Amino acid sequence: MSGREFFQKRYEQIGWKLKEVNLKQAIRVNQTYSKEKNLVNRLSGLGLHLEKIPFLNNGYWVLESRVSAGATAEYLLGYYSIQEAAAQIPVSLFSNLKGKKVLDVAAAPGGKTVQLSDLMENTGVIIALDVDKRRLNALGNHLERCHVANTVVYLLDARQVSTLKLKFDRILLDVPCSGNFVTDKNWFKNRTLKDIERNAKLQREILTKAIDCLADQGEIVYSTCSLEPEENEVNMDWAVKHLDLQIQEVDCYGNEGLTSVFGKQLDSSVRLCKRIWPGETQGFFVCKLRRSKKDESKGNY
Amino acid sequence: MKAKAITNFLSGLGVPLVINPDLVIEKNGRYYLTNPVLKQIIRQDFFYAGVFLGKVKNGKFFPSFNLLTMISKKGANRIIIDKKSAWLFICGRDILVKGVIRILGPAKKNSNVLVVNEFGECLGFGKIVGNLSNKERSNDVAVQNVSDIGDFLRRER
Ligand SMILES: C[S@@+](CC[C@H](N)C(=O)[O-])C[C@H]1O[C@@H](n2cnc3c(N)ncnc32)[C@H](O)[C@@H]1O
Repeated sequence: MSGREFFQKRYEQIGWKLKEVNLKQAIRVNQTYSKEKNLVNRLSGLGLHLEKIPFLNNGYWVLESRVSAGATAEYLLGYYSIQEAAAQIPVSLFSNLKGKKVLDVAAAPGGKTVQLSDLMENTGVIIALDVDKRRLNALGNHLERCHVANTVVYLLDARQVSTLKLKFDRILLDVPCSGNFVTDKNWFKNRTLKDIERNAKLQREILTKAIDCLADQGEIVYSTCSLEPEENEVNMDWAVKHLDLQIQEVDCYGNEGLTSVFGKQLDSSVRLCKRIWPGETQGFFVCKLRRSKKDESKGNY
Repeated sequence: MKAKAITNFLSGLGVPLVINPDLVIEKNGRYYLTNPVLKQIIRQDFFYAGVFLGKVKNGKFFPSFNLLTMISKKGANRIIIDKKSAWLFICGRDILVKGVIRILGPAKKNSNVLVVNEFGECLGFGKIVGNLSNKERSNDVAVQNVSDIGDFLRRER
């Protein structure tokens, strides 16, 4: 159960016609560190012409570039990061990040850790975890380049997060996933339904362990760059039914989450998730969660 | 003091210790500056924490760009270079006498000096090997590149 035709048929069943997508390069300005630097003009002077991405606060499309966006002095000085447009959405869904204790469970290579730190204005604490040491080195470079000062990184499986004995106000679950064909040329050749099911199971395990560390009133953002409902809506349906979590309404780019998937009816609140089919951006999925009210009051007894 | 290597490096650049040694932690020869909040929750087996300050290898200290940026704001010895030299410097090249716009500090031969662009941004540091103000030998190397921010790209290769 694999191959382009197999997945194409699946996407058609859930309402999307497969099309080729040419991904536009995007950057995200690190506001805290580049304040008053007149960055957009400076970059335009170098031949890097930008256009504001209408659905993001600090994101710009790279329209035209005479220089590589990843090799300017401004990039090396940490004034901006190269971050795909849809990948800028999950972190932007948290409220009031300043001074908070934040968990980033699958953090490497760190695009979203740096974004979190930027929105926190380098206050509070981020605990960033990953299991891949090579990718953690890249994360360390990214933190150094962008002058991040509020993060502690561990080489740790997210499913062991309780060993840190901490409670978090915000948890980012940018979970390991199957990815999508836009960012991986060989995606259809390499991926099978079995992989997807295996990833979906790992995602549920990570989610289950992470919520044990969620402070009352805490917020979770779950995201993947997978198009497969098993890793997205179906997992969120499971979370609502098994983990006493409630899906929150979010105001961001994307379509409603699917509530009917391959003949299975999901909880109606799953429509509050956002599914982003490839087009303007790569494929993506985001969902914001909180403990359900009844669960919060349980904790108070 | 565990941050001795750092102190020595800083005094060579004409700046006193600008960090609180109690907040400096070390792991495998790599030094990090934490803050009271991080210090309280950090576990021994961390991989990276707070601000990376640099590493000690074979007794020699290699500063991070975070540390260089911190001290460039604290009056460390530095030279300001022109746009073209700035570009060449981050590509790993040395600085010629003609590229130096201003010298701040004693600029003694064989000493280290921060390298700063026209916007006052620290691009790295180097070792003074020539006479920085001898305009008659403007094509001579003035400062040998020791470390520049282009290293972020070289590391990822
Ligand atoms: C989608 S990527 C994360 C991207 C990252 N959040 C960013 O914005 O740069 C998923 C990451 O999960 C990591 N990972 C896989 N299994 C994990 C586990 N059990 N615990 C923690 N991280 C894991 C992978 O090494 C990979 O770096």
